Amino acid sequence: MRTRAGILAVAAIVLIVLPRFLSDYHSYQFSLVGIYFIALLGLNILTGYSGQISLGHGAFMAVGAYTTAILTVNHGWRDLWTIPLAGLVAGAAGLLFGLPALRLAGVYLALATFALPIALASLEKHFRAFTGGGTGLILHLPHSELGFHTSPSRWLYYLTWCIAAVLFACAWLFVRGRTGRALRSLHFSEVAAASSGVNVAAFKTLAFGVSAFYAGIAGSLLALAVAFVNPDTFPLSLSILLLTGLVVAGLGSLTGIFFGAFFIEFVPIWSQNVSQNAPSVVYGLILIALLLVFPTGAAGLLAKLFGLLRRTGL
Amino acid sequence: MKKLVLPVVIVVAVMAFGLSGALATPQSTPGVTATTVDIGGTFPFSGPASLYASIPKGMSAYFSYINARKGTDGKRGVYGRQIHFTALDDGYVPANAVQLTRQLVEQNHVFALVGGLGTDNQTAVRDYLNQMKVPQLFVSTGATTFDADHGKYPWTIGWQPTYHAEGAAYANYLNNHDKGAKVAVLYQNDGYGHDYLDSFQAALKNKNQVVDAEAYEVTAPSVQSQVVKLAGTGADTFVIFATPTATIQALVIAYKIGWHPKLYVNSVSATDTFLTLATNAAGSAAAVNGAITDQYLKDPGDPTQRKDPGIKLYFRIMNKYGPAGARLTDILYLYGMAKARTFVTALYAAGKNPTRASLMNAVNHLNEQNPFLLKGVSIHTSPEDPYPICNDELVQWNNGAFSAKTGLIKGC
Repeated sequence: MRTRAGILAVAAIVLIVLPRFLSDYHSYQFSLVGIYFIALLGLNILTGYSGQISLGHGAFMAVGAYTTAILTVNHGWRDLWTIPLAGLVAGAAGLLFGLPALRLAGVYLALATFALPIALASLEKHFRAFTGGGTGLILHLPHSELGFHTSPSRWLYYLTWCIAAVLFACAWLFVRGRTGRALRSLHFSEVAAASSGVNVAAFKTLAFGVSAFYAGIAGSLLALAVAFVNPDTFPLSLSILLLTGLVVAGLGSLTGIFFGAFFIEFVPIWSQNVSQNAPSVVYGLILIALLLVFPTGAAGLLAKLFGLLRRTGL
Repeated sequence: MKKLVLPVVIVVAVMAFGLSGALATPQSTPGVTATTVDIGGTFPFSGPASLYASIPKGMSAYFSYINARKGTDGKRGVYGRQIHFTALDDGYVPANAVQLTRQLVEQNHVFALVGGLGTDNQTAVRDYLNQMKVPQLFVSTGATTFDADHGKYPWTIGWQPTYHAEGAAYANYLNNHDKGAKVAVLYQNDGYGHDYLDSFQAALKNKNQVVDAEAYEVTAPSVQSQVVKLAGTGADTFVIFATPTATIQALVIAYKIGWHPKLYVNSVSATDTFLTLATNAAGSAAAVNGAITDQYLKDPGDPTQRKDPGIKLYFRIMNKYGPAGARLTDILYLYGMAKARTFVTALYAAGKNPTRASLMNAVNHLNEQNPFLLKGVSIHTSPEDPYPICNDELVQWNNGAFSAKTGLIKGC
């Protein structure tokens, strides 16, 4: 417990100080890491804890992003206020999806979630007047507020990571204790969970709602970061990317999520530097190698490291 | 409680330290050194519009030529500065254009963005570039807004004649020569397609002349259902406001289903390269013959223009600096080269120590006789008239060559 708090403190200090040593552009990239971090926190609750596979989480990010975009562009809202609202709208969408999803499990649920981003993209293009259609909506660059004077990228970095820290604490509180145990029991055996008095339907739907809420906030921040939203900003590959990040992080663990987020932001870029012609191949190879060596993801690796340290008496 | 005091103090001190250092330090003139000028742009080297990749290649070839030759001041490059042009692949996807443009500005620290391609792509980055006060010059799209909204976005300007002017030119031709035509339109379902369609319809005297207009998505693999539907309306005139791949498909499908309407093909897709591809795919020149389009550039595919000094210069530069094995009759190389020449003209006018502001000032007061444009078409801007190229002419394709249908039309 002490070592965990220690690690978190060190991580917090590093995150606070990092922009001083980073260029604007790298600060921006680390903001994206923060955004993926938030999305992965949510996906972890759904897939890592309650065991429901979602191949369409990018769609909930899109819901949050469009909420922010439509409110700021079409209705002139101040961007900060739209962030929690985007989370709530996406959370509601998640709950709505979670209800019919109760009838599905495993592969069939995955297929149903697969349809989400595709259906959403068509809806976005159809309601042109509302969403800007294929051309999309263009937002203003985030300006530093609340008395701070800094570049848009660095402001975004601090905004993202502050929200990420708060949501991390919330996720930690959510999964410890009864709720976490209930969710994990759903993963292992629904029958056993039901016979232990867990309301399976309620918790499964709740997991969808909460994870969609997180995705919505991440999507809202992504809209502010990229300052542009159109159906292409949330392709199917984003949902797969999130799942990849979760697996790299180590399913069902909060500690590895930072590494998962870091991986999905930077490794595709590094792959492009390695090979201009086939970056996806390089990315795939790195991913396969990583999972072969660390099948339990970053969290497993960290656990092994600390086990090692403890054994050597440190 | 006491145990928390020290950690809290440390955290607060670190925050103060971290935040104080996070203030950005501006650069003097990004992208310009004593010996180099860095510029960049995003283009579709891959994806549904990859046939446009010839444009940045033409631009690169011209910049290589400028970097190697000695100018009138005896120096290579522009005032002794070599032009470094970074063309990145956005795959014609606006979200990628946003990411890559940001990278060019914040990581590559380019002086200006030049020639970026795609209506929706360049619209997506326009706000960002104007807020960052980075010149977005001579975008490779005729969408009217880039010139029309120059007052609102002073760092952004187009280059080619607007789609508005082009759509209106086709409509006026129909008004004058074919009032009774029943028109079917195929258009791309995005800003580019809508710009053409709206301008075309607005300029038609007979508002009921368009019997049907069908849209297709950029990402759609085929336009078959749309073309079949349009053919079914019994229209005798087919207007195509589509990018090259979809245009070629539409021409081939129309021919194969036995529909032989009078053709109007938008200039971005009616080059020698694309019309020849359509002819070959359809197996007959009749699929494409008679197609009317709009031109303002000289045509390297036209054998009668070979003696023209501008065309000779084009071939000389492309043979020496162009990509190996390039099909030099592709007018898009010439388009890129013409645009690059305009940029070089503006860069000279920006002075011996150019800044982004002096570059924009030069761009707002352009007066260029470009050897790659048709005779009578010149490049001219002023603060009141931010439309660089205003004149063009309608030409007709027959058996591998264009012939003029009208004289020069003034589009703005």
